[in-house]
Amino acid sequence: MPKLEQTEGYRIIHNWMADKGYAPFDFQLKSWKKYAQNYHGLVVAPTGFGKTYAMFLAVLIDYLNHPEQYKKGIKLLWISPLRSLAKDLQKAMQTAIDEIGLDWQAAVRNGDTSTAVRRKQERNMPDILLTTPETMHLLFSQKKNSRWFKNIRCVVVDEWHELLSTKRGVLTELAIARLRSLSPNIRIWGVSATIGNLEEAKNVLIPYKNVNTTIVTSKEKKKLKIISLLPDEVELLPWAGHLGGKLAKNVLKVIYENNTTLVFTNTRNQAEMWYQLLLNEDADLAGQIAIHHGSIDAKLRNWIEDAINEGLLKVVVCTSSLDLGVDFKPVDCVVQVGSAKGIARFMQRAGRSGHAPNEISKVYFVPTHALELIEVSALKEAVKKRDVEARTPMVLTYDVLVQFLVTLAVGEGFDKEKAFEMIRETHAFSYLTKDDFTWAMQFITKGGKTLHAYEEFHKVVFDDEKELFVVKSRRISMLHRMNIGAIVSDAMLRVKFMKGGYVGMIEEYFISKLKVGMPFVLAGRILEIVHIKDMTVIVRRSKAKKAITPSWKGGRLPLTSYLSHYLRLKLNDALQPSIRERELKFLNPLLTTQNIHSHIPKSDEFLVEKIQTREGCHLFFFPFEGRLVNEIMASLIAYRISKIQPITFSIAMNDYGFGLLSDQEIPVTEENLKIILSKENLMEDVIASINASEVASRKFRDIAVIAGLVVQSHPGARKTNKSLQSSSSLIFKVLEDYEPNNLLLRQAYTEVFNEQLEEARLHEAFDRISKSTLILKEAKSYTPLSFPIKVDSLRNTMSNEKLSDRIARLQKQQYKLIT
Amino acid sequence: MNIVTKDIRFGNEILTLTNQRVLYWQAQEMLILSDIHIGKTAHFRQHGIAIPDAVLLKDLERLKFLIEHFQPKQLMVVGDLFHADYNQNFDVFIHWMEQFQDVTKILIRGNHDRFKVEFYENLGFQTHIQKTINTLTFVHDAVKVVANSYYISGHMHPGVRIKMKGRQYLKLPCFQVNSQQLILPAFSLFTGLNTRTHLENVVNYAFTEDAVLEL
Repeated sequence: MPKLEQTEGYRIIHNWMADKGYAPFDFQLKSWKKYAQNYHGLVVAPTGFGKTYAMFLAVLIDYLNHPEQYKKGIKLLWISPLRSLAKDLQKAMQTAIDEIGLDWQAAVRNGDTSTAVRRKQERNMPDILLTTPETMHLLFSQKKNSRWFKNIRCVVVDEWHELLSTKRGVLTELAIARLRSLSPNIRIWGVSATIGNLEEAKNVLIPYKNVNTTIVTSKEKKKLKIISLLPDEVELLPWAGHLGGKLAKNVLKVIYENNTTLVFTNTRNQAEMWYQLLLNEDADLAGQIAIHHGSIDAKLRNWIEDAINEGLLKVVVCTSSLDLGVDFKPVDCVVQVGSAKGIARFMQRAGRSGHAPNEISKVYFVPTHALELIEVSALKEAVKKRDVEARTPMVLTYDVLVQFLVTLAVGEGFDKEKAFEMIRETHAFSYLTKDDFTWAMQFITKGGKTLHAYEEFHKVVFDDEKELFVVKSRRISMLHRMNIGAIVSDAMLRVKFMKGGYVGMIEEYFISKLKVGMPFVLAGRILEIVHIKDMTVIVRRSKAKKAITPSWKGGRLPLTSYLSHYLRLKLNDALQPSIRERELKFLNPLLTTQNIHSHIPKSDEFLVEKIQTREGCHLFFFPFEGRLVNEIMASLIAYRISKIQPITFSIAMNDYGFGLLSDQEIPVTEENLKIILSKENLMEDVIASINASEVASRKFRDIAVIAGLVVQSHPGARKTNKSLQSSSSLIFKVLEDYEPNNLLLRQAYTEVFNEQLEEARLHEAFDRISKSTLILKEAKSYTPLSFPIKVDSLRNTMSNEKLSDRIARLQKQQYKLIT
Repeated sequence: MNIVTKDIRFGNEILTLTNQRVLYWQAQEMLILSDIHIGKTAHFRQHGIAIPDAVLLKDLERLKFLIEHFQPKQLMVVGDLFHADYNQNFDVFIHWMEQFQDVTKILIRGNHDRFKVEFYENLGFQTHIQKTINTLTFVHDAVKVVANSYYISGHMHPGVRIKMKGRQYLKLPCFQVNSQQLILPAFSLFTGLNTRTHLENVVNYAFTEDAVLEL
């Protein structure tokens, strides 16, 4: 075989690049070579270094060298997690193809693609199809779909690190397994940012034996500069909060010092608020400022993305909706409002500025409350060490399995044995047992256990003629197609202007609290409801000055264990900051307050604060383990205390710690604290303490939707399937009562243990605590550490009292009904 | 099953609330309930959503126990007896009903009850859109409230969310009562709770396995 550099294909591509004044990076060249040698693999490079070209051009070179091996139809399939990515990628690819002088066509197909275009594609598929995991499965649910995939030579999964630890990743694995069964010689490649477990990421994407795999890593490193925006005095920073509004002036200054700034916030609600804040601060920004988040209408978002690229905007307030994607060339500055909660995410966002190779990425950090500055200080340390989190792949997700089987049945139908073999090839289902598979088959053909064969249940039936499992009912096919995917959101309504034009989407829960005429904010506009019809809210512009900003559920991510490790270290030195530690120096007065009224825990200490207020007796613990683990620890501690005396707590937590609040005195002393925090019987007590069934019921929500047990109503839909409405919690209860062996139930519990409990992390935490000195402090009022937990937190209840006892207490005390 | 009761005065009548999702009117020897949604489980299954029939059987078992306990002469269903189109669940119900042939059965039609009058008559149900007995008017969803009238309705599946001291929460099903209206909880356990109310000056009678509470 000749060296790649000597081939015609390489020469053409090389010349084309040279004409534009580029030379391939080392990792690009290496990817091309490996691709030419029939390898499968993973390309790892920071944003802005041309990861796309590494794979896309590899396929072009191969085609130029072996045109005879390529047949009509899709040759390269490009799967990316975000719809917004596809459009720009397609443009870039088509331009390259045209300039090189090929007759290929690259096209996008996803949820935004019009029906007319989709029909056209189905008659004549493009050479390169850019799509999403969900759209892949939708294609699988069409009649005679396999003809489209027979001639595929390569599938590329873009931003694989984003999909890896999600059920969408499992959808992707299954899609690849099916593509491979239709086109056995297909080459599988992934494109990823740096994560802690690249080898595993590769093996999940390419679990197939007898193929050569490789990881191609770029040597190029992104330079990163993190600057905290600090107010003039520490008193100006609130002890708790989530907006950081006091710093709007400082942010404005940064905006004017740069060409185009992206202001990242952690939630959509925050984005809406910051958009208003900046506009209020400087009315001249009108027309040069935009807001971008997942609930804003796709058309509007596309327009904003184009406007960024053309340099028309000075600033865009956004959420994770702009985390990924094609680089916006004019963006030279990034502002992060509030902690990004993870090292990988922070670096990704930072990488959105100064995108050109070797340019420095500048990122300004806006603390929303004082303690977040310690997080930045920790973040800086972690970034310096390039210590990036791992992402754990999901396995044995029966909900996705059930959905996939029905998808196959709706499409061309499937053979039971062949399907089992194909599914078993994926990483996610490599441990799928015959029994579990049989259960899944029974679930979709009989509706449950074999003993109860329900006559009227015929979701998937066996077609004797075709000898395949198929779906015959059109209604069921339709319901299933609407339900394909693994992204579960709350019931959303589309928001539309009376005169026409969509603004975006809003949760039904939020709208239900508003009355006609009440002003609210969406996409930076003040709107009022005219009326609600079907799943659409008709609005008009409101003249009101003030309006409610909706809060969308979800979106709050816990602090990662990597970051919390650095956080504890920083806290340890907090009182003696080195000269370079700008954040810690700034915080000194606040930390001193904490130290005087309570204590600052060293890395070998564990702090507990006890505070009496009008609300009752508070106990605060500070493990700094991230919200989810803190929540589990909270119920565990509550449970252990309640063994001393029956008591009901309300539990609050944030990323740093948790608080227990009771209307009764909490019986905790320095002596019994040792036992309460001991690592003995850890998991037994955890299981006894969390109302496992309640936590699992919450987890079951997504599972029920993905497995098709709950019919989601779709924003803007005319039909709401009202007679099929039920809640996942209701179905959870029914299954717990009557079908305890249901695998979807079991999955809910497994997810609780893997994701919520993070068993390993919990063990580590208690191990550390057992080696620490316990410090119990009684404070007269909230301290800088406990205050944020008290005000800015999510709450739960833990009780070991009988419902009747609680009711008896309820009748003796004050209560409030919530309507 | 533990039956806990509480008598209230409504529209000049004494009515007995129970913690078992039914209302008993002693003077008329009438058992009153709403929103049984027979056929819901099979309807779900027809559409590919596997819900076990045990849910329906449990509802019928509960109702049987209550009928045997109160020994009513009349059974009043204030709407949504059936959930959707005719399906296998109906046969189970019709067969089950045979044991209570002596009880007079009245159905106030709900939004889900879309069959012809004859269909219900064949099952032994008199049907009405609205029916007044003494001072009490039975209607599935009391949209219009006329002065000096007293309405007993269903449809809402009422529930109540309670905030206690120490930020603790409870969510329970309930009867909602004000001076002119009484809204029944849904009888079927395969129903959700609606904790919003449009009634003014409402008293919520929430219940648990062993108590009825006035909130």
